[in-house]
Amino acid sequence: MPFNQKPQKFNASINTVEIGCGDKAIKLGGECTFPFYTFDAPMENAPKIGVEVSDLGIASNIPGIQKFYEGASTIGEIAKKAETMEGADFVCLRLEGGDPNGEDKSIDELIEVVKEVAEAVTCPLVVEGCKNVEKDTELLPKVAEVLQGKNALVMSAREENYKAVGAAAGLAYNQKVGAESAVDINLAKQLNVVMTQLGVNGQDIVMNVGSAAVGYGFEYVVSTMDRIKGAALSQNDNMLQMPIITAVADEAWSVKEAMATEEDMPEWGPLEERGISMEVQTAAAVLASGSDAVILKHPQSVATISKMIKELM
Amino acid sequence: MAKFITIGERLSTTAPAVNKAFTERDPEPILARAKQQLDAGAVYLDVNIGPAENDGEDLMKWVVELLQSNFDNVPLALDTSNKKAIEAGISVYNRAKGKPIVNSADAAGRIEYLDLAAANDAICIALCNGEGLAKDNDERMMYCQTLLERGMEHGMDAADIWFDPLFLVVKGMQEKQMEILEAIKMFSDMGLNSTGGLSNNSNGMPKHIRPIMDSAMVAMAMMQGLTSAIVNPNDKRLMETIKSCDVLKNNTLYADSYLEL
Repeated sequence: MPFNQKPQKFNASINTVEIGCGDKAIKLGGECTFPFYTFDAPMENAPKIGVEVSDLGIASNIPGIQKFYEGASTIGEIAKKAETMEGADFVCLRLEGGDPNGEDKSIDELIEVVKEVAEAVTCPLVVEGCKNVEKDTELLPKVAEVLQGKNALVMSAREENYKAVGAAAGLAYNQKVGAESAVDINLAKQLNVVMTQLGVNGQDIVMNVGSAAVGYGFEYVVSTMDRIKGAALSQNDNMLQMPIITAVADEAWSVKEAMATEEDMPEWGPLEERGISMEVQTAAAVLASGSDAVILKHPQSVATISKMIKELM
Repeated sequence: MAKFITIGERLSTTAPAVNKAFTERDPEPILARAKQQLDAGAVYLDVNIGPAENDGEDLMKWVVELLQSNFDNVPLALDTSNKKAIEAGISVYNRAKGKPIVNSADAAGRIEYLDLAAANDAICIALCNGEGLAKDNDERMMYCQTLLERGMEHGMDAADIWFDPLFLVVKGMQEKQMEILEAIKMFSDMGLNSTGGLSNNSNGMPKHIRPIMDSAMVAMAMMQGLTSAIVNPNDKRLMETIKSCDVLKNNTLYADSYLEL
């Protein structure tokens, strides 16, 4: 019997969310198939790659990263360099120096950093807070304000502060809003519900449903993303049709495989290779599970994932 | 599995206010009732214009256009014994939000409603009755077969025939209730869709009792595989029960605010 291909058709699609302005603006989402199921229908937009930079500068002990940013000293120069990375679609600025348990930089100081980066780059900008809920509740609305007109993605509104962050970024200053949950599928949906009830347009929300490095509870990440895409497409659940962005770099470079020194673990081989490996594997896996964008750090990871996306499209 | 599909029943000539509005072509009461039902979560709206022997075609067109232009092409069930009126309604119907439903065929005098649905690429409610009530499930399933074959002969997709076991009133036919539920299970085991006028079961009961009985019935029927029902969506208890059952059946992903969706 001849093989008759039956495309898996859904009467639903993931929202398309545009970030940035002008020529370099990017579109996340838009697909009406499972990830890379291009045999069912073309993927509307290729998944996008962001390069992570931090207000703490290049604190990396990784030679490949140091070399890439050679000569860049201010955060503006670093960000400018980051956007030239081969395969990069956007820059993600992490304001980790704001953490009260770390450097505890003031909001004013951090806003200066945001301004400097926004002026330096022409590509779309994603700004992440410091992950301390109280600080971010104060910081992120100011980030949204200072980036007016840039159509940036502000990450993230969480269960504890979605009102402040959602209202500022999504309502007052017309940015895109990240909705963050930590591998909790019901909360991921709930956040979208309450944010839209607040008045934020569902088309302006990008979900960050959490991640883990490969090998660290990653199967929960996969099942969360699978279930979200399944509900979004096959059950036409419009509270789950927001595209997904995943901050891979932070997770991948914080596990022991990417941190243990070569002196401690000579049998594991060079540290840099291990880190790249973790980053590439995690990114490939979340993209295959439904992420519409990943945030990475190492130039080689960015190049590798970019090639993978091109070849699978 | 897909979410349970509710068909709002409140636009019917059996309600005097609606009947009057249909006759006088008065949009306001119709739009108000439609809005109440859609706000409460109805997916489809049933438009029951009665026999409408005189001006059925004109009336059905008018209602279809009125509702679809005011409520973003809301999908509709066209409910009348006047076949020409159903065809007229379909001729102006916009399918953007779902196919029209022909309400309804049976396995006797109204079997041709299936042909009508097939010719118009519509969904058809297929009442598993012959000239009278099916006396048991053997007879009911025979009617189901007849209807299924008729639809498929005319090129319908089986998924577009929604089988109605005919819900029966508890007061008088209490011993039939489990039989109806078993018929739903049989439809479901055959992979068929199903629907019906669920609140028949509580006919004649005190007003405060009906939402309780209807909720219990819908929960048991959904357990058996019922995929849709013609209901009063403004019955809050009933709608909450349906939403909860949709969660338990994994038809929809749970979120704390699921009752508000």
